[in-house]
Amino acid sequence: MRALEPTVFVVDDYAPVRNAISRLLRTAGFVVAAFASADAFLAQYDPAASGCLVLDLAMPAVSGLELQEILAQTGSLLPIIFLTAHGSIPQSVQAMKQGASDFLTKPVNDEDLLAAVRTAIEKNRVLRHEQAELSEIRARLATLTPREREVLDYVVAGKLNKQIASDLGTVEQTIKIHRAHVMQKMRVRSVAELVRLTQRCGIGAR
Amino acid sequence: MNAAACLTLAGFYFAIWCKQRQNQVYLLFSCSAIAAAAISAFELCMLNSRTVGEYEPLVRWIHVPTWVLTLSFVAFVRLYLHAGRAWLAWSIYGLRTLVLILNFIFPVSINFTAITDIRQFPWGGQMVSVPVAAPNPWGLLSTVSLVLLLIFSVDTSITVWRRGDRRRALLVGGSMIFGAILAWHVPLVIWGVIDVPFFLGFSYTAIVAAMGYELSNDMARAASLARELEMSDKRLNLAADSANLGMWEWDIVRDEIWITDKGRAIFGFDSSEKLDFDRFRSRLYLEDRQSVLKAVEHSLGTGGEYESEYRVVLPNGQLRWIAGRGHVELNRDGRPVRMRGASLDITKRKHAEEEAERHRNEMAHLSRVTMLGELSGSIAHELNLPLAAILTNAQTAQRILANGDADLGEVREILNEIVSEDKRASEAIRRLRLWMTKREVQQHSLRINRVVRDVLKLIGSDLTNQKINMHTELTSNLPTVTGDPVQLQQVLLNLVVNACDAMANSDAAQRHLVIRTGIETSNEAITVSIADRGRGISEERIEQLFEPFFTTKEKGMGLGLSVCRTIISAHRGKLWATNNAERGATFYFSLPITAPDEQVVIDGNGSS
Repeated sequence: MRALEPTVFVVDDYAPVRNAISRLLRTAGFVVAAFASADAFLAQYDPAASGCLVLDLAMPAVSGLELQEILAQTGSLLPIIFLTAHGSIPQSVQAMKQGASDFLTKPVNDEDLLAAVRTAIEKNRVLRHEQAELSEIRARLATLTPREREVLDYVVAGKLNKQIASDLGTVEQTIKIHRAHVMQKMRVRSVAELVRLTQRCGIGAR
Repeated sequence: MNAAACLTLAGFYFAIWCKQRQNQVYLLFSCSAIAAAAISAFELCMLNSRTVGEYEPLVRWIHVPTWVLTLSFVAFVRLYLHAGRAWLAWSIYGLRTLVLILNFIFPVSINFTAITDIRQFPWGGQMVSVPVAAPNPWGLLSTVSLVLLLIFSVDTSITVWRRGDRRRALLVGGSMIFGAILAWHVPLVIWGVIDVPFFLGFSYTAIVAAMGYELSNDMARAASLARELEMSDKRLNLAADSANLGMWEWDIVRDEIWITDKGRAIFGFDSSEKLDFDRFRSRLYLEDRQSVLKAVEHSLGTGGEYESEYRVVLPNGQLRWIAGRGHVELNRDGRPVRMRGASLDITKRKHAEEEAERHRNEMAHLSRVTMLGELSGSIAHELNLPLAAILTNAQTAQRILANGDADLGEVREILNEIVSEDKRASEAIRRLRLWMTKREVQQHSLRINRVVRDVLKLIGSDLTNQKINMHTELTSNLPTVTGDPVQLQQVLLNLVVNACDAMANSDAAQRHLVIRTGIETSNEAITVSIADRGRGISEERIEQLFEPFFTTKEKGMGLGLSVCRTIISAHRGKLWATNNAERGATFYFSLPITAPDEQVVIDGNGSS
C-alpha cells in the first residue's frame, strides 16, 4: 500500500514541533509517519516508499545532514525538506548541494510547508516514474542477443546496413533481419525513437 | 587611754560602715572595738574599787562586753578572712551565750559564787584591787569557750597561711592566738593559781589594733585601686576615642543608657539628652530595626554576646553604618540586669564594600552579556522552537475550522499545546531578561542541580550543534547553597562553554562533557565539576588561567574565568582546575552549604 500512497515522513527530536507539523500535514490530507530521531526513521525505512521527508537539521546523535548522506548512499529517491530553527549559511549550502528539495526556517508558515511538501511529492513521483521507465528499457535491452546488441550500437551510431555488414563481415540481408529483431524487441518503430531510449540508458554517446 | 583609742577606731569604722552598709566587716569591727573599750573601762573600775559592793556588779556586767567582743570577733574573722570552721564558730557563739545567761542566774557571776573581801596590793607601781572570793565551778564553761576560741584562732591562721596570705595569717591570726592565750590569766587568777589583776582589756586591744591595721591597709589599697582605676579609665577612654569607639552601658532594670561622648556623637545624640532603649531604637534605620531587636533579644534571652551591624538615621537625615558589640550581665536568678558594649562607626568600610560589590556586579554583568552574545544562536533556538510549534498549531486549527467539520477534540488538543508552548517561550524570555538586566546580587538558598539544569536549557542546542556528548551525574537530595542563581548559572555556563571550546578541534567521538554535582567529604560544601576531553591545560598556566585578560582563545577578552573566580569567592567558595589523568581538564567549584537556620529554599532560577 505504502508504495502506492505517498507518505510524508517527519523526523524531529522536539516533540511539540514534530506533533504540530504532523497534525498540519494530516489535516491537509497527507499520510504522515513521524519519528523522534534519524535512527528511529532508518530502523523502519523502506526504500520502496514514496513521498518525501521533512527533516530537522539539528538533532542529537545523527543530524539531519548526516541522514541525508546516508539516504543518498542507499540510492533513496525521497526528496528532503529541511527545517531549521537557526540555519547557518554553510549548513544550508551543504544541504542544497547534497540535493535537498527545500530548506525552510522555523517557525514555518503552513502554506510554505505544504507547498514544499506538494512539490517534493511531485518530484518523487516523477523520479519514480523515470526510474520505472529506465528499468523497463533495461529489461528490453536484456532480451537482445549479443549480435543484436552489437547491431543496435551501430544503428544508434547512425550507420547504414551496408556499412554495418561490411564492418561485421557479413551480408546486408543478415543485418536487416537483426535490425528488425532489435526494433521489435525494443518496441520502437523508428530509429529516432530507438536513439531516444538508448540515450536514457547512456548508450550511443560514444 | 586604751579605751579611748579603741573608741576612736570604733567610731571611725562605724562611720565607714554607715556609708558602706553592705560591708558588714566594718560594723563587726566597730562592735569589737567598742566592746574592747568597755572591757578596759570595766577592768579599770575593778582595779580601783574598794568594797565588795562596788566590785560585784562590775564582775557580773563585764560579761556583756566580753560576749559582744567574742561574737563580733569570731564573725569578723569568718567574714573578713573567709576562714574558720562554721561548727567551731557556732559552738563558741552558743557557749558564750550560755555563759552570759548563767552569769546572770548565779548570785555573783559565773566566775564567783561569793566575794568575801577586796584585797589591795601594789602592782606595776600602783595599788590595785583583786577580789577574795570562792570560784564558781560553772566558770569552767567560760574556760571551755576560751579553749574553743584558741582552737578556732589556730585553725583560722593555718587556713590563711596555707592559702598563701602569710602576712594576714601572722598579723591577725597571731594577734588572735596571742589574745586567746593571754585571756587564760582570767581562769588562773580566779582559781588562785597566779596573783595578778585582770587585764583582759589589753589583750583584746591588741587584737582590735591588729584588725584595725588590717582594715586600714585595705582602705589604703582601695584608695590606690581607685586611683589606678581612674587612670585606666582615662586611658581606656583615650583608646576608645581614638578608635572611634562609643562605649555604652544599658541598665536594663531601670532602662537607662549611659554612653560616652564619642558614642553620643556616633548616634547623633545631644550631650545632655537622657537616653533609654526606646530613644536608641528610634535612631535605627527602619529596614535594620528588626534584625537589631532580634540580636538584642537573643542576647538577653541567652545571656550571650550581642553583635550586629546596622544603620542609624542621624537627625540631619544622614545614614550611618554602626557595628555594635556587647554582652549581657545576669543576676543570680539568671535575669538580665545590665548590658555593656561598644559601637563603632563603620560607614566608610561599608561604603568601600558596597563600591567593590558594585564593581564586581558590573563586571559580572558585562561578562554575562558578552557571553549571551556568543550564545545568541542557542538562545534564538530556545525561543524559536516553541514559537514554531505555536504557529503550526494555530494554522492547523484555522484549517480545521475552515474545513467546516471541526473535530473539537483535536482543536482542544491543539489549544493545549499552544498554551504550554507559549509558557515555555515566556519562561525562556524571563530567564533571558534575568541574565540581561543589571541588578543587585540576590542571596537565596538554592539547589545546585536546578542551576545545572537551567544552564543546560540555555546551551543545550549549542551542545547538539557542536556534536558534544553531554552527560550529567547529579547527586540527588543535596543540601542547598546560598547565592545568586543568575551569577552561579553564569559561572557554570562559562565553564561549559570553555569546555566545549577546548574540544572544538577534537575528533567527534572524543567530544565528551561530564557535569557532576556532589557533596564534599567534610559535609560542609557542595562541589560541581565540569570535565572535558579537550587538549588540557599546560601546568604552568593552570593558575594563570584565572587572572584577568589571560586568554588562549583567538577571540575573547580573557575575562570569563577571572569573573567566575570573583563570583565564586563572593559566594565564599573556591574555583580551581586540574588536568585529567587520561585526557582533557576538569574545572571545579565548591560552595558552602547553607547554614541550617537559613534553609528556606527558593527556586534555583531566582524567581523573586
